[in-house]
Amino acid sequence: MTDPCILKTENLSLSYGGFTAVDKVNLQVKHKTVHSVIGPNGAGKTSLFHCLTGGRRPTGGRILFKDEEITNKSAHARVGSGMARSFQITSLFQNLTVRENLRLASQGRDGNRALVFWRSVSARGEHQALADQVMERLGLTHKAGVAAGDLSHGQQRILEVGMALCGKPALLLLDEPTAGMGVNDIPMMTELIAELGKDYSVLLIEHNMGIVMSISDTITVMSRGNVLIEGKPAEIRADMRVREAYLGEVA
Amino acid sequence: MVPRSGLPGGSAAVVAVILVLMPLVLPSSTMATEILIFAMASLACNLLLGYGGLLSFGQGIFFGSGAYLSSLVMMHAGAGLISALLTAIASGAVLATLVGALAIRRTGIYFVMMTLAFNQTAYFIAYTLSDWTGGDNGLLDVPRPPLALFGATLADLSGATAYYVFVAVLFLLVFIATVTVISSPFGSTLIGVRENEARACAVGYDARNFKIVAFALSGAVTALAGALYAMLLNFAPLENIQLSMSENIVVMTVIGGTGSLLGSLLGAGSWVIISDILAEVWPRWLILMGGALILIVLFLRGGLWGGVESLMQRFSHQNKGHQGPDDAPDEKDESV
Repeated sequence: MTDPCILKTENLSLSYGGFTAVDKVNLQVKHKTVHSVIGPNGAGKTSLFHCLTGGRRPTGGRILFKDEEITNKSAHARVGSGMARSFQITSLFQNLTVRENLRLASQGRDGNRALVFWRSVSARGEHQALADQVMERLGLTHKAGVAAGDLSHGQQRILEVGMALCGKPALLLLDEPTAGMGVNDIPMMTELIAELGKDYSVLLIEHNMGIVMSISDTITVMSRGNVLIEGKPAEIRADMRVREAYLGEVA
Repeated sequence: MVPRSGLPGGSAAVVAVILVLMPLVLPSSTMATEILIFAMASLACNLLLGYGGLLSFGQGIFFGSGAYLSSLVMMHAGAGLISALLTAIASGAVLATLVGALAIRRTGIYFVMMTLAFNQTAYFIAYTLSDWTGGDNGLLDVPRPPLALFGATLADLSGATAYYVFVAVLFLLVFIATVTVISSPFGSTLIGVRENEARACAVGYDARNFKIVAFALSGAVTALAGALYAMLLNFAPLENIQLSMSENIVVMTVIGGTGSLLGSLLGAGSWVIISDILAEVWPRWLILMGGALILIVLFLRGGLWGGVESLMQRFSHQNKGHQGPDDAPDEKDESV
């Protein structure tokens, strides 16, 4: 792979009526790095995320993933090409077991091939194997038979990330993985994401500055739909504009 | 998904035993046949409602068209039993694919309204084409040909018992097929779509395709039931394709318990038996049925089968005492 970037956006824009939530954003996510997008509320982070996952059609610009244009690809089709996402608000199969949640997520890469109704699921053992492997990695093996809805909030957040891992993605899109997590659970998640950054490319949207500063390779700061600045954590911390953007919001 | 419930993997064996006992216990094998036919339609409804979370009030379309088309190919094209049933299955699958593909473009209440509207349309089409369907009078003199394969007659089905055996074998096959479908990649994904469509989409599934295939399978089985019903009555009444048929099928499924296949047999059985008893007691028996439905929905959320299951659990708990580990994982897999 000659191109150092796995994901690129070119002048990506999204408007809701007259309001421009994302305004000509150029983003470049490099292979096997943790790239965080931060910014005050209303900066357009979530809108940007929706465009990247296929939840919203951009109103302008292009998205290139592994040098292939995916701007108008549907959300489920993006999984097949190697993108996987987690949700800001936990979105699991609440009544199914942890193991079945992960198995379904592993099987998701099959897309329409999962329509076979005449065979047993055990015929495709590799999905179960991957699910068990991810479960081990998340430290949830002892909860295999528990319904996802009965897990603690922290465990649900971890499983949420695990669902994305089961897609064997090249790029993980994580939308505020620590949202609503207790202080005690956050280090576990931080560790997990940092570790994932070694094997995957991670695009992280996060509010928690502690996490962002400690594990990101690159940080993009957004403000009012635009990219304010991009750089390494140390550069971001020192930048006056970033302080203004945040302080301005407070004031 | 591992079949759990009190009867791991043995639900087909349980059904086989029930099928043998039914004609012995019930007043007539005709009634037993009727129960199995409606249980078949209820199984198909259960696939949509219990496993796909799709409340379809269009099942009458498939039931009725299965009855009409199988009868018509026998009466006008000289089709035998097997080809008539295959015609019903194919037409049911095709119609359900069309209805499903359009209806699932909406969700929730709008989806339900679409299936209702399709059922009304189908009813008026059948009513209008009275040259073919007999309109209000129904299609009379539907034959019940012998079971024959490649010109060789295997069994004469004109007797009530012989026909029961034939329907029972088909029911068992449909039941096993449904169990297979539910534990397949397709079935497990369908459950996932029911649980959380956005998540199913995010892990890579195109939910629409799964819903359409669920419709096709459900329509095929429902139409088969409709064809068998016409052969049972030697008659295909207009009621087969009426909205009330769709309602009855849904009600049987809910009474029996959605999401459990044995529940469908229980639901159809109690519906047919109770309506038979009540109809003799009081001509306005549907009022009592309405009351029973309200009670079940209010107090027995898993339907009759859910009630049976919790009774069995209580019973086995009493037998075991406190031996079982308290932290046994309460698996929430679908019961079959």
